[in-house]
Amino acid sequence: MSDMAIVSPIRTLQRLPGVAIVLVLLIALFGAIAPGFLSAANLSNVLVQSTILTMLALPMTLIIMTEGIDLSMGAVLTLTSLCVAIVSLATTSMLLGLCAAVLVGTVFGLANGWLVAIAKIPPFVATLATLGMAHGLSLIVSDGQSVVGIPHSVRDIYSAHLLGIPVPILMGVASYGVFHGLLYHTRFGTYVFALGGNREALRYAGLSPTRLLITVYAIGGLMAGVAGLLMTARMNSGHPTAGLGLEFDAIAAVAVGGTSFERGNGWLLGTLLGVLAVGVLRNGLNLISLPSSVQVASVGVLVIAAMFLDGLRSRA
Amino acid sequence: MSAETSAATLDAASHVPLLELRGISKEFPGVKALDDVSFAIHPGEVHMLLGENGAGKSSLMKVLCGAYRADAGAIYYKGNQVTIGSTADAQTLGIAVIFQEFSLVPFLDIAQNMFLGREPKGRLPGTIDRRKILADARHVLEGIGFDIDPSVIVDTLGVAQQQMVEIAKAISQNARILVMDEPTAALSDREAELLFALIGRLKAEGVAIVYISHRMAEVFAIGDRITVLRDGRRIDQIRPADVTPEQLVRMMVGRNVDMTYPRHFAEQPGELVLQVKGLSATTGISDINIEVRRGEIVGLCGLVGSGRTEVARAIFGADPISEGEIIFDGKPIAGEPDVAARRGIALIPESRKSEGLALLRSVGDNLVVAALKKLFPSGLFDPRSAQRTADGLIRQLRIATPAARQTVGLLSGGNQQKVVIGKWLAAGARLFIFDEPTRGIDVGAKSEIFALIDRLVAEGAAALMISSEQIEICHVCDRAYVMREGRVAGHLARSELTEENIVRLGMHDE
Repeated sequence: MSDMAIVSPIRTLQRLPGVAIVLVLLIALFGAIAPGFLSAANLSNVLVQSTILTMLALPMTLIIMTEGIDLSMGAVLTLTSLCVAIVSLATTSMLLGLCAAVLVGTVFGLANGWLVAIAKIPPFVATLATLGMAHGLSLIVSDGQSVVGIPHSVRDIYSAHLLGIPVPILMGVASYGVFHGLLYHTRFGTYVFALGGNREALRYAGLSPTRLLITVYAIGGLMAGVAGLLMTARMNSGHPTAGLGLEFDAIAAVAVGGTSFERGNGWLLGTLLGVLAVGVLRNGLNLISLPSSVQVASVGVLVIAAMFLDGLRSRA
Repeated sequence: MSAETSAATLDAASHVPLLELRGISKEFPGVKALDDVSFAIHPGEVHMLLGENGAGKSSLMKVLCGAYRADAGAIYYKGNQVTIGSTADAQTLGIAVIFQEFSLVPFLDIAQNMFLGREPKGRLPGTIDRRKILADARHVLEGIGFDIDPSVIVDTLGVAQQQMVEIAKAISQNARILVMDEPTAALSDREAELLFALIGRLKAEGVAIVYISHRMAEVFAIGDRITVLRDGRRIDQIRPADVTPEQLVRMMVGRNVDMTYPRHFAEQPGELVLQVKGLSATTGISDINIEVRRGEIVGLCGLVGSGRTEVARAIFGADPISEGEIIFDGKPIAGEPDVAARRGIALIPESRKSEGLALLRSVGDNLVVAALKKLFPSGLFDPRSAQRTADGLIRQLRIATPAARQTVGLLSGGNQQKVVIGKWLAAGARLFIFDEPTRGIDVGAKSEIFALIDRLVAEGAAALMISSEQIEICHVCDRAYVMREGRVAGHLARSELTEENIVRLGMHDE
């Protein structure tokens, strides 16, 4: 029976290729055909641009591990981004803007969690409904217009450097570190695995799946709030369609990263690699001057390619 | 020795039981699941719990672990009366149940699973002391002699090892009473040996074990005491040395059914309708040989999980077959359910609500749905012709419905079953495969269903009937095949068709 004690590291290695292969192939491809892709400035740019997606895809991984989904993330991010713009414009305080965004985001996350865990509405439907609400609210608070003239303190976050590294990259790395610690080293993270893997096991252990599930969705909303600050900083304005379709990229990154949509089989590093694959793809297509409509379609192709690679290997 | 005295001497001979159930009764609408059952568990003993499907084993187990509350009776722990109102109460008393479906989280490691909800706290708030959880897990695993790294992800383990993890989890919660529900059902012989060795070690440490089994060999190999249940009642409690397998079988059978079913047995069976030769499928059945003739009702029995339903599904083409052949009406048949249905095979599944009927549609719609191609070869639907066909079937099968447009979900179970039969009759089926045709149907309706099946075969059809109710098989079938662990364990002709023979063949009695 001792021959079974070898599995864990090999398993990780076996899972690694799918998304890693895709990422390496994409980098090689665009290195060859896209002028300037491999320059330090551009690679740094890819990382900076991937930060917002990282902040959504990390909590999305947790949500998907619970056999759920959050379709509202892009729309909530749009709303929180407008909150940052409006509040900082009114108070000239970046910090108050961030607080407002985090508050609004968390409220939406709690609402999603409540609808899913207590009202027992299927996650797809529940978060589709809150997507609509967040989108509508964005149009109302912005009057359908961009919010411009926001304080420099907001914009500076996106362009600032710390120890020579762009602040957004540091924020992305920090987010990953926090989520890694949360999922793999805390009791809460252990229970997230159980939420998707065997909810009965939680009940046997005397834990409340309901409260845990609400927390998972609330974290998603909170992160959409933090990412909203970066979005406003990046665009130097609040825009009522800023986060349009970001939930699509986030779900795609999680799927590409090898997180299974059932049984609570999640892989956070895979999600990070998935985010980078999406980022490289969009950046590379941009460099060879393909329109953004092609980018969206290509992310779809990326998802299928990664699934296909994973499927081929698991059958072999 | 009579049942009462043997049990009395047993209890007098040993000290106060660790846990004792006295006069436990539990009633559900229409069924007395447990009827005045008494049951004592002693430390360091393996107490085998025996009974047919539906004898009350699961109910008793659920009372033990706090999932059910008994209607009457009392529970004593070390001589003091206690109540087990929840799984938490059971845990406090040191009772742990290992269900056939595990309570493990697939993508956590062994240690995380063992200590789920009880993780040792790390230095930062909310974190887990990884080193301690692994050390604690290793300690428990070593204690039960399970040599494995506790950081292995549970999903990569085989069934036997997952079971070991479940046991380790229970032991880590200081369980003193382990309840195991057919723990060897999914294990190989070698794995079962490991489990028995573990049970031996647990016994030596004074753990009490309640062991539900269908395998006669196990009962005698590891049991210290045997309790036999039948129809929710305790039939006897004995020691293995005082009983033979034959006597145990006799105790398990003999259910009282005050009903005889109408059946006109054919003098001479007709020509061969179905011939199954050396059939194997990936669903766990192998080397199945079965014949059914016109005018016959052939029983297919065995314990739940012995492969009966899998045989039916393979014949119908619902599961792919890996070996062997199926000959229907002289010609081989292999393939999809729609081919089988077109050739005249009807499968009437156990879960008629999910598989056999469109519950929200009318009786008429359900009756004609399988015959649409036959009734309307041109592809154009004629409501009046459909109505005529439906009305004809309603009369022929005596379906109690106010009209063909009544929603089928509103009919009684027996009448729903008739609609399923009528559906296949309309489609021209000549072989009917029934999977538990009387499940959830009241006694009167059962008799009507059997009368209907009898008429079907008298008119030239053939039937293969799966049933867990041995008494029904004995009364209704011309002959029967008994399955055990995916194989046909034996064939019983009309003259040999007794409950005792069925149970004997269906169980391990080597």
